[in-house]
Amino acid sequence: MSGYRGDTYYGRPALKPSHYGWLVVAYLVTGGLAGSAAIIGALGGERPAGRAARAIAFAAVAVAPLPLVKDLHVPRRWYNMLRIARPTSPMSIGSWTLAASGGLAALQVLADLLGARSIRRVLALPAAGLGAVLSIYTGTLLAAAATPLWSSVPRLLPVLFGSSAMSTAAAAVELASGADLAELAIAATAAEAISLEAAASAWREARVEAPLDEPRLAAAHRAARLLAVASIGLNVLAVATRSKAPRDAAAVAAIGAGIAMRALLVFGGQRSALRPTDYFGMKTAEELVQPQSPTSVAMRSRPSTFPRVPRNGW
Amino acid sequence: MQEAERTAHEPIVPGRSYGFFTDTSLCIGCKACEVACKEWNELPAEDGGLTGESYDNTSALGATTWRHVTFVEKIGGPGGRVTEMAPFQSNWLMASDVCKHCANAPCLEVCPTGAIFRTEFDTVVVQGDICNGCGYCVPACPFGVVELSKVDGKAHKCTLCYDRMKGGFEPACAKACPTESIQFGEVDALTARAVARLDRLHALGQPDAYLYGVPGGPGATGGLRRLNAFFLLLDRPEVYGLPARPSRGAERIAPGFGEGLLAMAGFAIAALVALRKR
Repeated sequence: MSGYRGDTYYGRPALKPSHYGWLVVAYLVTGGLAGSAAIIGALGGERPAGRAARAIAFAAVAVAPLPLVKDLHVPRRWYNMLRIARPTSPMSIGSWTLAASGGLAALQVLADLLGARSIRRVLALPAAGLGAVLSIYTGTLLAAAATPLWSSVPRLLPVLFGSSAMSTAAAAVELASGADLAELAIAATAAEAISLEAAASAWREARVEAPLDEPRLAAAHRAARLLAVASIGLNVLAVATRSKAPRDAAAVAAIGAGIAMRALLVFGGQRSALRPTDYFGMKTAEELVQPQSPTSVAMRSRPSTFPRVPRNGW
Repeated sequence: MQEAERTAHEPIVPGRSYGFFTDTSLCIGCKACEVACKEWNELPAEDGGLTGESYDNTSALGATTWRHVTFVEKIGGPGGRVTEMAPFQSNWLMASDVCKHCANAPCLEVCPTGAIFRTEFDTVVVQGDICNGCGYCVPACPFGVVELSKVDGKAHKCTLCYDRMKGGFEPACAKACPTESIQFGEVDALTARAVARLDRLHALGQPDAYLYGVPGGPGATGGLRRLNAFFLLLDRPEVYGLPARPSRGAERIAPGFGEGLLAMAGFAIAALVALRKR
């Protein structure tokens, strides 16, 4: 059965696209920010950066569910997200992680306000663990869908979303506290830029990259790349000149890169799902490693050649 | 005696697996299945209008279309319109598409509310009173079956006539099908019947026939294991708009989580370095 010959059913989509739009992009940014800020907050102790990170994590985790609930088609049933726990559903994993992170973030901010350091220290490790899951699960959420642009990069998407979450969080903490987190900001933003390039190359290899050539998506792709590189450059400049202005500019650029990258993935996915040739012709991760042709008991006397079917040939 | 025993020669017993065997070599494109489905399930009509795509003006499965008859006219040849055709089906393929009720259904596996569940008949059904319209099942379905309704915002798809089955009736489409192209029954029995039919078609000189969605075959790839609603097709799956190698999204979760958490551990070290400066 290997060897797709380009047939489609009147060019009609073989998949349905998700309805995700700007509300989901907004969640991906704030949810990731909440998760990664929680990690910085857990490691930051009593430093201003640590306290600021915990405050940011709390604010972000409080705001993040709002666009998600708004995005539901029956918003009044939002609590059904916590009706069951289902490990095969990244959205279920994410709902519980988001809820638990919210509780921990609130407790930590409360502990900060009351000066209860020992309580905050106890909460630090679970908060960091949940923060890590919150930072990356959105990548697996998209990758678990059938949409070619997402399903073709199941290992890269969580790394891409996680590094962007950390890049955004480092930027937000720097802007809020004035702290210098150059090493972290550079590492996370560089990881984001590199995984975006790796994804672009994986998409080409899997032959699902076509939607990204559409003008608006191409612009988002360029913006994400340029802003990430600009952020790294400005951060290096800030370290070299020991000045704050380029560091703040780098932080703003990093947040912009994160927004552009997520918009590219969300809206690119909608276009991707509508292209039957991408879906049918897509190479899976396993095939890229080892080309295979699944043989079938059912296809006992398999036809030597499948007839080529020109469409509406008259 | 249940009615299903008279019409489908099959009692309907909770705990057994039921499904459809859609034998497209018998389909005459009458769309009785589409009509019976809409009638029984009280689904509204689509916008009228002609697509110009053979006799198919339904176009796709969706929230209010749970059976969809595809029409493929293999009338063109390399040098223009063909003048000679094999007698079998006159190069005109018709097939009634439907939700596959996958053994490992990705829509069910990703549903965060439990609205999509597996019934006592091993079929996959959306509970409208639980669904909150998150829409995750829509891109998760590797066959593009599930859709959110524009009216109530919830996910809808074929239920394999869950309500009829509870009453001992076979699904409406199978009952309405005048050529036995749609056969309802216990999946193992249907599979045996399908294999016998396949052997017969091969013996009759139709080597292109194959089963789509049985274990080990196209359509049951990538961890999907088996489609409870499977098909006998006469051309490549893509010709009918079906993927040859669909996959189960849940198998992509663990590898992604592994690499993602590894990256976050790396960033935690970078964060410690950045925070410990002063």
